Amino acid sequence: MTDPAALWVNGRPYSTELPDDERLLDTLRWRLGLKGTKEGCRTGDCGACTVLVDGRSVLSCLTLTREVSEEAILTVEGLEADPVGRTVLEAFVQEAGLQCGYCTPGFVVALTGLLKERPNASPEELLEDLQGNLCRCTGYLSIRRAVVGLAKART
Amino acid sequence: MIRADAPLKVRGGVEFGVDLETPGMLHAVLVRSPVAHGQMRALHLEEARRSPGVVCAVSHAELAALLPAGSGDPERPVFPQEEVMYHGQPVAAIAAHTLAEARRAAKLVKVAIDPLPLWGDIESIYPEWPGSDEGNSPRINAHVHARFGEVDRILERSREVLREKYRTSGIVQMALEPHACLAHVTGGHWRVTTSTQSPYGVREDAASILGLPEERIVVEASWVGGGFGGKAAALLEPYALVLSAAADRPVKLQLSYAEEVELSRSTLPAVIRIESALRDGRIAARRVRLLLDSGASLPGRDFATGYAIGFIAGPYQIDAVELEGYAVRTNKPPFGPHRAPFVPQCAFAAESHTDGLARLAGMDPIAFRERHGLRERGLTPLGQQVGPFGLHAGLARAREMSAVWRAELPAGTGIGVAVGFWSTGSSAGGEIQIRLGPTGLVLETVEAEIGSGSVVRGLVVVASRSLGLPPEAIRVERTDTARGPMDSGVYGSRTTAALGRAIQEAALRLLEELARRVPGPDELKLDWTGAQVRVRRGPHSVELATVLTEAERLGGGIATQGRHYGRTGEIDSGRVLAGSFYGYGDFIGAVQLAAVDVDRETGRVRVLRYAAFQDAGRVVDAATYRAQVEGGVAMGLGEALTEETRWDAEGRIENAGLLDYRVPTLLEVPPIHVEAIEGFPGAGPDGAKGGGEPPVIPVPGAVANAVCDATGARVREMPLTPERVARALKLI
Ligand code: FES
Ligand code: FES
Repeated sequence: MTDPAALWVNGRPYSTELPDDERLLDTLRWRLGLKGTKEGCRTGDCGACTVLVDGRSVLSCLTLTREVSEEAILTVEGLEADPVGRTVLEAFVQEAGLQCGYCTPGFVVALTGLLKERPNASPEELLEDLQGNLCRCTGYLSIRRAVVGLAKART
Repeated sequence: MIRADAPLKVRGGVEFGVDLETPGMLHAVLVRSPVAHGQMRALHLEEARRSPGVVCAVSHAELAALLPAGSGDPERPVFPQEEVMYHGQPVAAIAAHTLAEARRAAKLVKVAIDPLPLWGDIESIYPEWPGSDEGNSPRINAHVHARFGEVDRILERSREVLREKYRTSGIVQMALEPHACLAHVTGGHWRVTTSTQSPYGVREDAASILGLPEERIVVEASWVGGGFGGKAAALLEPYALVLSAAADRPVKLQLSYAEEVELSRSTLPAVIRIESALRDGRIAARRVRLLLDSGASLPGRDFATGYAIGFIAGPYQIDAVELEGYAVRTNKPPFGPHRAPFVPQCAFAAESHTDGLARLAGMDPIAFRERHGLRERGLTPLGQQVGPFGLHAGLARAREMSAVWRAELPAGTGIGVAVGFWSTGSSAGGEIQIRLGPTGLVLETVEAEIGSGSVVRGLVVVASRSLGLPPEAIRVERTDTARGPMDSGVYGSRTTAALGRAIQEAALRLLEELARRVPGPDELKLDWTGAQVRVRRGPHSVELATVLTEAERLGGGIATQGRHYGRTGEIDSGRVLAGSFYGYGDFIGAVQLAAVDVDRETGRVRVLRYAAFQDAGRVVDAATYRAQVEGGVAMGLGEALTEETRWDAEGRIENAGLLDYRVPTLLEVPPIHVEAIEGFPGAGPDGAKGGGEPPVIPVPGAVANAVCDATGARVREMPLTPERVARALKLI
């Protein structure tokens, strides 16, 4: 079944055809053209597809779009316009918390979500909660420096 | 200085292979063999073709009509005509309007394959060592053998001889971005945009597989979400190209993570037998025998044996050494390159063994390595002079650091050292074009940034130093293989070193040309102010724009080219008894320390601290270098502790997915102390050596040695999973 649906992404309304069983990852990337959200494992094991739904981190590869069509979705493309998101982007740029950049959208979105939920979280708590995001290039060390720098700057 | 690609990448703003899209594009799926070894009996595509949304389906039978020269290279068929060589090998491919339609149709393909006896585990094929008459067996892809000194006699007559057998596992690159490409065949032009480390490599490979002249194929790289060797040759491109030829439409093909594990060409299992004789605290002789699974590689195309075996005895001065290796043909995907291909596995055996010898000699492991480590004029086992080599400087630093760690860490912590050596792949050739325009410099290359920073940072820094322009004034522009310039690829730790040399040459030419156009007694300098390039000679300064010809103004500036074709090193052919060995050059030494905690109940190993002292020649960019070493060590920790591909009795991969193929996660990587050892120049710009592969090499050995230091137990199989450690501790 393909019915039109309304979505609210990065503060903007979208209306699109939507098969019932479509995953949010595919809707974002191929219907809305928001390809910053990355497709990795599609099994919930890598975190590359992380987006925020009403402020909560979700794995868009495991989420049916229909289930979140009422809610506010934030993707990596929307971080610039978000005050917390912007500081996260800046921290990752400053520390070069990336190499190939494929895992990066997932990390910056997940971190933004964590900081919104718990603005005073310590770097250790943040790192603990980022464990579901995999990176194959950096050994996570430059990512850690970005997280630690950011947490310090906020307190 | 921020990394030039960082602002784009944090915003998800670069286009990777998986992001490629073009109007009218079809989606493709590979139909893969359910058996690991078999004879194709029947393949029926009719039902799949009738399935909704399907535009075309191709198998071997359709190739003759699609390819100008028939069905391509019979040695490397796109799809097997008769013999299926590994589980999951593509036997057909389907293109449809949507991915879901293509997937549905793939299930309707009827394929009948009569199973043939499985060539699976190399140790079942050769429980001992292949007999001398096995050299011509169809199961042997390659046999290499080298020797010097009286190895047999010394091993026989010495009282202290350590004989060990090590086993290493298969691994996969598992770049976070899966392989993906977009092909479009139109008007006789075979064009593919792909996530690749080597556009020219893909072109060469695809041309040979498809039986097309290379000029007919145009390859362009997208941004690459990690390669690690897995994206250096053609993999998906031939399939996407034939589908596009059949459909007369653009075709997108992308692997799932399960397919990544099953199809990637990477390191396969091996058995390494190593024996050394000890005399008066010195290694008097060493013999290493390698039995390597080379998968469905073709004879003569074996990738690893002759390459990796040069490193298998370690960077040591030993007076009698014998190296012998057999590459065994099995029913697995062909062996392929994986970040310092098979050398971490070699070093695991050599360094674990060398630690055992130090123990036998009653010596400190670092002091023992200092006694044997190669120095500048020292000869590698293949008789190559090692040249400027920072191994001893690294060992000296490791000695100091391990003393500090001993004092700081609680009793029971294991500290292990391991060394490794490698070579800058600067013999692989490359060319570059640079163009200086009124607003800055453009570097034109076919190479994509794969993550290492060698393109967006390494090349830019070299250009910046060569021309005296700030990095902000320099941009990299990616071209395709139709426009060039030629380059071998972003692999082999070569990019900054080899293409950097090409940039230096191009820069020199550019400065000479400018000097002709702006004459004067003073030295010529370039200035970049307010986004304008100026040429200055002493007090006299002009805008670059004023010295350009009309054609140059239109073309964007003055262009010059540079090239660097290094030479392979000479090996001492008097030492070679059989097969061919690769002559490396421009050697790099790496020394590492690991501190671990071993859980005495579960066998679980936790790495607490890590240090890498690496022979850098001369560091081009400190932040990028550090990042490469950190990432390399982390990858090595995966190889050391968790990563292994496992096959079942039917030759199928058991753990095709991230859940079971475990790569390191955030809290599993400890802080890594990175120290570049300078002062032992290599062949790159200002003496630079490659940096991306050496950091992986010593890791499994360093971890295993730390585990042994903590527990006294020697684990002779990698990865050191809790189970293997527990068994070595006699817990199970
Ligand atoms: S793609 Fe969603 S977790 Fe990997
Ligand atoms: S930067 Fe490449 S996967 Fe994280």
